[in-house]
Order: sequence, then structure tokens, then C-alpha cells
Amino acid sequence: MARLVVLGGGVSGHTAATFAAKWLGSQHEVVVVTPNSKWNWIPSNIWVGVGQMTKEEVTFDLAPVYAKAGITYKQAKAVSINPEGSESKEKPFVTVEFTSEEQAGQSEEIEYDYIINATGPKLNFGATPGLDAGHTVSVCTADHAVHASEELAKSIEKMKNGERQKFLIGTGHGMCTCQGAAFEYIFNIEHEINKAGVRDMADIKWISNESFLGDFGMGGLHMKVGGYAVSSKIFTESLFTERGVDWLIGAHVSKVEEGRIEYELLDGSTGEEEFDFSMLIPPFAGVGLKAYNKAGEDITDTVFAPNGFMKVDANYAAGSYENWKASDWPKTYQNPTYDNMFACGIAFAPPHPISKPMSSPNGTPINPTPPRTGMPSGIIGKAVAHSICDRILKGENAPLHESSMADMGAACVASAGKGFFDGTAAAMTVYPVVPDFEKYPGTGRDTDYTFGEIGLAGHWIKHILHYLFIWKAKLKAGWTMIPE
Amino acid sequence: MVKDIVRYPTPPSVEFATDVRQFDEALFSLIEDLKDTITENNLDGLAAFQIGSYFNVVVVKDENGEFLELINPRIFTTEGKVTTTETTAYFPGLSAEVTRYDKISLVYQDREGKQHSLQAQGALSILLQRKIDYTFGAHFLSKLSKEEKAKFEKKLEFGADVAISETCPTTFKRDYFPKIANIALIVMALLLVGSLFVGDKAILESMWSAQEYLFATVVLLNIVYFFYAHYEAKRYTSCISCQTGNIIGTMLVSIIKLILIMVISYFLINPN
Repeated sequence: MARLVVLGGGVSGHTAATFAAKWLGSQHEVVVVTPNSKWNWIPSNIWVGVGQMTKEEVTFDLAPVYAKAGITYKQAKAVSINPEGSESKEKPFVTVEFTSEEQAGQSEEIEYDYIINATGPKLNFGATPGLDAGHTVSVCTADHAVHASEELAKSIEKMKNGERQKFLIGTGHGMCTCQGAAFEYIFNIEHEINKAGVRDMADIKWISNESFLGDFGMGGLHMKVGGYAVSSKIFTESLFTERGVDWLIGAHVSKVEEGRIEYELLDGSTGEEEFDFSMLIPPFAGVGLKAYNKAGEDITDTVFAPNGFMKVDANYAAGSYENWKASDWPKTYQNPTYDNMFACGIAFAPPHPISKPMSSPNGTPINPTPPRTGMPSGIIGKAVAHSICDRILKGENAPLHESSMADMGAACVASAGKGFFDGTAAAMTVYPVVPDFEKYPGTGRDTDYTFGEIGLAGHWIKHILHYLFIWKAKLKAGWTMIPE
Repeated sequence: MVKDIVRYPTPPSVEFATDVRQFDEALFSLIEDLKDTITENNLDGLAAFQIGSYFNVVVVKDENGEFLELINPRIFTTEGKVTTTETTAYFPGLSAEVTRYDKISLVYQDREGKQHSLQAQGALSILLQRKIDYTFGAHFLSKLSKEEKAKFEKKLEFGADVAISETCPTTFKRDYFPKIANIALIVMALLLVGSLFVGDKAILESMWSAQEYLFATVVLLNIVYFFYAHYEAKRYTSCISCQTGNIIGTMLVSIIKLILIMVISYFLINPN
């Protein structure tokens, strides 16, 4: 009997664990280690953040779902991995610390035959001074989003009482990703303020580390809209102008204080913005897992990249921008040192950004880091689970499944306001996620499969997807037929 | 080498706007071609797209008439708005009132790939914005107000830079009638499908009665549409499409759908 341990129960880890449990059956064991007791459909957090959904609507308890799937569930956080075992343990193991109330403070060493690191990111609020001090809100977790919604309600109330409010939404550091979530949030806020009848009392401003609006960490895209190819820059600028949202880009937020931020721009100049309400996405980092060899020596640098994400089969020696290739991106997500160790979702270390790297004359890097949205994360998680199941069921030499982000398309539906009749969302597909300039000279993408539309239908699609993916994650009837 | 300038109606290619990654002889040659073409045609600047290259390169003449080479330019701050009359080699002989930012800050790279920043104001700012738009696949049509866009499209249609007071709208009020008629037809179709699952005679009678009312509504809508559409067509005599043909065609399609649904309903729903 083999044991697969999955660290993390987010989109990627949950997908990997549930498919592995289905494919392996009861002959083998799947263990999920995640510090959270609930699963969260993160894309809908933006609706929680504007009070249009409750926390309960975007989360559910993991324990009963894992019990149904025959998965051993440990509410704990992983702290270290011993991929060679230790002097007292022959098999590799992971050390976890329990986070549930009943077992708080206890730890356990869980042996494994295969391990998937799907821990997701650490929300690195500490990277920007003051970003962790509560001056701003976040929508990265359901609890954060609930808090954001409460603060937004206060601001709307103030505007109703005649007090003008300044909203500052975007990224809180020069190396952030997830511009898409901030994009959705700013337009959902604009929509709600409009609905509340106080739009004229609000100044709404976007701040981000993108070098052009519509970069989204993917170097932008050219999509077919109504038969015409439109740059995401033009598309996004039009939307911002239409909705009266001002923007500041190429900005690294260097300091956050009560009601104001300081920033540095791509030309090295500095400035400040004041705000009454601000949601700034923090940069991501690895969760800080350590790794030790059999002798107990620290081999964290061997297993993990400096940013804390796990090294996989990517080309980390690609060098400067001009040398970047689509083939640098990982295919199997297997750790190059330990072949029973994989990483998926946000937990794998990307070889380099997708967007053009840029920095200010002072050397401050100001460019988006690569996004790994739900669809690629789910696809990668499933491919990794498939590889491991094949190796367990067919033998150690079974070929690994591949799902490179340079060969993968992704669909994204970005909400710009929730409402059955007045909702809006931009629905777009991009292929491939990582541009392949050799295969598709020019934009690096196949414009036949890169298209988008904005409108009410997009909102309905996003709303339907909300229910569909929660249905899938709860492993209800037909869940395997719903794509990632 | 002087190159041919890409002009309307050649559509913006989907293969532009890629950042320059190799700072090599091919790039230097492209920049020289841009300069030669600017000089030959007495222009104030060109984006690489305008001579058929998809690279993110712009060459403009600054206030002193000196060439300014911008590779991978990005505008990141803007200030103030100003509306001026612009022309561009892409739309030769045509002009439009375009609102742009008065002051901009941008970063760009030089031939060696070194990053620089630049602040521009007034004419240079406007010129740079227009050229950088090309590098992202847009010309000034996407920057025009609704009214100015309609006016400019008229100029494009007639190929002359003259003010045309009347513009042909892309949507008419009369279009609401066929839209409502279509909704009624969808309801009729749904009733028709729904009747297949109903066995109760009383319910079928109600459904048939509803079909009759809807039938009368759609017929009425088409009649009103016919007269109103002709009235509206007379107000837009400059619209060159055959409006009468469109009106009759729209009515015919609606009536054919109506008859089809009603005939099938007669046999499937009508309990009598």
C-alpha cells in the first residue's frame, strides 16, 4: 500500500487529492494536510468583499467531503520535509503541526511514498512596510473579504452622509501578482457604489505594478472581440475610462500608513496617494517550508527556490528576458532532486515572469509576477495526480503526464459588477498562457483561441461557474465530468 | 530603406505589439527604415506597425526636429486632458478631434536595451500617445468620443475630410419592435415545447389561448414596426443601405417564424 501526501487543500491540492483518491481506490492512501478546515472558492471572494455573497456561500467544510472520498484529512500545516527520511526513519516524511482546536500544538511526522506540494502562497503582507498593519483590506481569503465588505459598507454610509471618499485599489508591492482579482474588486466596488446612488461622492483609483493597463501578469494579450483583434491595454483603458476610474501604473507601493501610501514609479520618481478605503493585494511567497536530508542538514536551498516556492522541472537558468522561452516552463512538476516529490498550483517555482521585467533606476523591480489562476492550477493538480497514480499502479517507470502552461489555454471570467440584470463580466480565453514566440511569432499566442467579450452574459457565466465549481469540489454527482 | 506605409483599410494586424527582445542588427535596420520613411514622407513620426513590423518600436521627431528612438515604450503617468485635431498617415487626408493627455511620463529602451524615462507635454505628448497606441494595436478611432467616431466613420465612408452634419446611426429606435416580437416568439416556442409535457385539457386550452394573444401581439408589433420604421427611415436619408429592403426583410422573417410556430401549435396545443 502506497501513501500519497498532498500538502494544501486549495484548488490545485484539492483537485490532485480527490482525483488521486478516485484513481487509487482503497488499496492506497491519500492524505491531505491543510491548515484550513474549510475549502474556499477564491474567485468569488470579490463578491463577499462587496457584501454580495456571504462567507458561507464561498466556503464549505472539508472534513465530510474527504470522509466521503476516503481521504485521510489532517487539519495541520506542514513545516518541513525530509525527502531522504532521517537517521531514525527510513522513509521520507513530512512534519506537520496541527491547527485544529483539539490538536493545537501537536505535531506529527507523516511518512510518504509520494508527496505533492500544493500549499499555495504565503500572503507576504510584511514585504511592504505597513501593509500588514490593518490600514488596508484584502480579499485574498474569505475572512479578509468579509472584513473588506464591512469597511466598504462604512465608506458607503459616510458618502450617504455627504462625506467624499477616495478608494485606492490594486497591488501593494512592485512584485505582486493577482492583478485580476484587484481588477474585479475595483469594478465591483464601482458597481456597488453606483447602485447605492453615491457614485458622485467617490474617487476611485487603480494602482498597480503593471507597465501598461491590461498586462495582468501575462504580458497582456491580444484578443478577438467582435471579429477584431484588440489589445488588452486598449480594452482595459476603455473600461476604466467608461467607468470613471483613474489609474496609476508602473508603481511599487513602498509604504502604507493610515490613509496614505508612498510609492516609487518606473522612472525612479516617488509620490504618495491618500485614501479612505484601500484594498491592496500583497505579494506572494512560498509558505516557508524547510527541507532536511537524512543527516538532518538543511537542504531547503536544494528543494526550494529563494522565493520559497518548490523547484520543479523548469529551466531556472534561462537568464535575461531575451533568452526566455516557452520551453523554460515546467511540464511534469517533478522536483529535479527527488523524483517522488511534485509541486502544483502556486507552490511551484516559475522559471521567470511572463511580463517584461522592469525596474526603476534605483533597482526596484516593478513588474507583475506570473499568475496561476484556478484553471491552470486545477489542470496541473490533476496532471500531477495522474502521474503519481500511474507510478503507483503501473510501476516506477511509468511516464509522467505533462501540462505545461506554455501548451495550455486558460479561460478567465473577470467580474466587473454583480447583478442578475445589471451585472458585467469580461470573459476571455488565452492560448497559451505563457506566450510561445517561436510557435506564434508576434504576440506569442494563437489569436484564434485568444478572444474575449464583456457584458451581462459574462456575469451569468461567472455566477454559474461559482455553483459548478463548488459542486465539483464537494464531489457531488458528475463532479469528474466538470472540467478544471 | 524607405518602406510603404500601411494605410486604412488594411486592418491592424494581430501580429504586432510584441516587445523587442533582441537588440541586434535587425532592430537597428528597422529603426533606420522608420527614419528614412519619416523623412521621405515628411512625417512627424511612425510606429513600426505602420511600415509592417510587429515590434514595439516608435520613432518620432522631437521639438527640435531630432529623431527620438523609443523601444518598448510604456506610458505610466498621465496628467490633464486636451483635445486637438489630429491626422495620421494611417488615415491619409482625414482628421479627427481627439482627446488625449496633456502631460505623460514614459519609460523606454534605447538601442542597447538601456532603460530611460521621458516626460512629454503638448504636441510631443500627443504624438507619442498616438504612436504608442499603434504599438498596442489601436489607432485614434478607439480614442474618439461617440459623436466624433460617428463623424469620422462617415469621413472614412466618403473618403473626404469634410464635416458631415448628419450621421447614420448604427442602431435605430425601430429595432425595439422586432426585439419585442422575438421575445414573444420565444415565449410561443417555449409554450409549444411545454405543451408536449401537458396532458390536461384545461391547461392546454389556456396555453392555446395564450398563443392566440401572442400571435395577435406579434402581428400588431409588425404592423406598427412597418409604419414607424418608414417614418424613421425618412429622417436618415444619408444612410446608404437599402432601409426599405431591410424593413421588409425583418418583417418577413418575423412573420414566417410566427406562421411556423402557429401552424405547429394549432396541431399540438389546440385541444379543440
